[in-house]
Amino acid sequence: MTQPDEPILEVRDLKIEFSTEEGLLPVLHGLSYTLSKGRVLAVVGESGSGKTVHALSILRLLPPTAHISGGEIRYKGKNLATLSRAELRKIRGNKISMIFQDPAASLNPVLTIGEQLTETLLAHRKMSKEAARARAAELLEKVGIADAEKRLREYPFQFSGGMCQRVMIAMALALEPDVLVADEPTTALDVTVQAQILKLIKQLQRQSGMSAVFITHNLAVVAGIADDVLVLYAGQCMEQAPAAELFARPLHPYTQGLLSSLAPVHEKVDILPVIKGHPPVPGQLPKGCSFAPRCPYATDKCRQERPPLFEENGRFTRCWLREGK
Amino acid sequence: MTIPVKIEHLFKTYTRRRLLGKNWEKPVLKDVSLTLEENHVLGLVGESGCGKSTLCKVLLGIEKPTSGLVTANGKDVARLSKSEFKKLRRVMQVVYQDPYSSLDPRMNVRQILSEPLDIHGLKKDRRERNEFLKELLASVGLSETQLERYPHEFSGGQRQRICIARALTLDPKILVADEPVSALDVSVQAQILNLLKEIKKSRRLSVLFVTHDFAVARFLCDDIAVMYRGRIVERAPAEDLFTRPQHPYTQALLSAVPSVRAAGLVPAAAEPSREYPERENWACPFAARCSHAQPACADTPFELKEVLPHHACACCVLPFKKTKSKPEV
Repeated sequence: MTQPDEPILEVRDLKIEFSTEEGLLPVLHGLSYTLSKGRVLAVVGESGSGKTVHALSILRLLPPTAHISGGEIRYKGKNLATLSRAELRKIRGNKISMIFQDPAASLNPVLTIGEQLTETLLAHRKMSKEAARARAAELLEKVGIADAEKRLREYPFQFSGGMCQRVMIAMALALEPDVLVADEPTTALDVTVQAQILKLIKQLQRQSGMSAVFITHNLAVVAGIADDVLVLYAGQCMEQAPAAELFARPLHPYTQGLLSSLAPVHEKVDILPVIKGHPPVPGQLPKGCSFAPRCPYATDKCRQERPPLFEENGRFTRCWLREGK
Repeated sequence: MTIPVKIEHLFKTYTRRRLLGKNWEKPVLKDVSLTLEENHVLGLVGESGCGKSTLCKVLLGIEKPTSGLVTANGKDVARLSKSEFKKLRRVMQVVYQDPYSSLDPRMNVRQILSEPLDIHGLKKDRRERNEFLKELLASVGLSETQLERYPHEFSGGQRQRICIARALTLDPKILVADEPVSALDVSVQAQILNLLKEIKKSRRLSVLFVTHDFAVARFLCDDIAVMYRGRIVERAPAEDLFTRPQHPYTQALLSAVPSVRAAGLVPAAAEPSREYPERENWACPFAARCSHAQPACADTPFELKEVLPHHACACCVLPFKKTKSKPEV
């Protein structure tokens, strides 16, 4: 691996808005982070927190109703937010690739696995069909699919959910990208399969020195594979920290709430601590801290003023309680 | 006192008729026996495709059993007339996984909750019904102001609350919950789980709770049955199952549950479990994925037998050999 601190993807003050009948609806309010080479960043948030929109925006795959209204997404110095379509096409799937939540829906049901895998290769690389075919078989084996030659001739319906996700991973890794964006890649899978897929992603990521952005709503899932964790709430980063530190000592009340609401498998509890209330509706953010209405520690200041991100020892926390610490 | 649900030697095979040649057959449930005790939560845990949902369908009378006996509230569900079935519906209700597709988008909450009452001719007085609906909504954590709203105006968690309220309108004794929280965010999951626990207690419900998540099962269930390929491989009181899992499959499932305790470490069972395709036709259904398999597993008939008090397990190797990879519990 090269220098660990070499930034590969830099997101600066990224803002995303949806156009609705009632006007513009901001869903991401200035997200910033830096993804270094060989690191795995987990972006954790509930539905509606803007995590998927953010993932889609990296490759400009946003639905037509949404657009990037400000900020930059820098990949090796190029701003993906303003890049021409032709330039972007060279990056998509090639330098930055993506896997999605529902593997069965992400594959084309009327094309064989082989046709879909070679399509990616032929689109970006000058190679013969035979070579592409051989490479595809190699990739399938790499993601743990036995009997690759035969499987290449099969259709997605002949694969289980976990196997489809392996195919998606093979496809995403076909061109040895620098960055893998994984949007809830294991949410639709069984726990045992989930464990296998997580391990596979981690292993392949280590082997190739690739970086990854891993989007999920379940903190426990990323505990094993993330180097850094960014917690999103109502379109804002609430806390960002190295994974081990975040799990050992979550600083933001929201992160604390998220962690404690996970049902533990190691012990029996009578009642699960919950975060009271609901996340704010986009466009109707509270005046102060967006988490204040649900926060057990909220003060008047929290309800009046938006907290900035406070830094301490390389961690960032958007909470007035961390001011001056 | 009738036992809420008793399932004995249930077999269910899906068949498709073919014009020529043999019919296509897919056995989904094989010799399943289960008892849901009064005021208990029985957790049915297994991976997708293991037959959990089919079992629910048979119990609810949506599918007919191929053989075996399924009784709910003392009635054989496969032999009920239409009117008897309608009566059973007042005793047994269901909550499904996906709160988006299980509510009619064109009905508001009042209509959704009134429908069961209309069908059964209950609470006909307008004021009485209004009071009833308000109380019902309050009991699932929604407010009466939301009665006139439509499903699209609610979040996933709130919709699941509506589904639960709908299941409770007829004041049932038995609730079948088919993965009721797996489509929800973790933070919302916690809310719904607390709610289910609370209403189970306050209404003295007996619940068949289907899930693939052991953490969720541990929180809610009194008894747990682990299912693999249409068979029950282990059955025990919940605490017993978590502290002393016996079957290799249960152990594998347990150690695959992601946990924040394992921060920084990939859980042990994330080892891509090896497969042994040559053992596909062995007597033990799990042999093809089992690292403890012995030659005996090939032809020892499948049997679920008690290995500890109230704790049944279907592993023929276990009594002779101590299991090596004990999951950290």
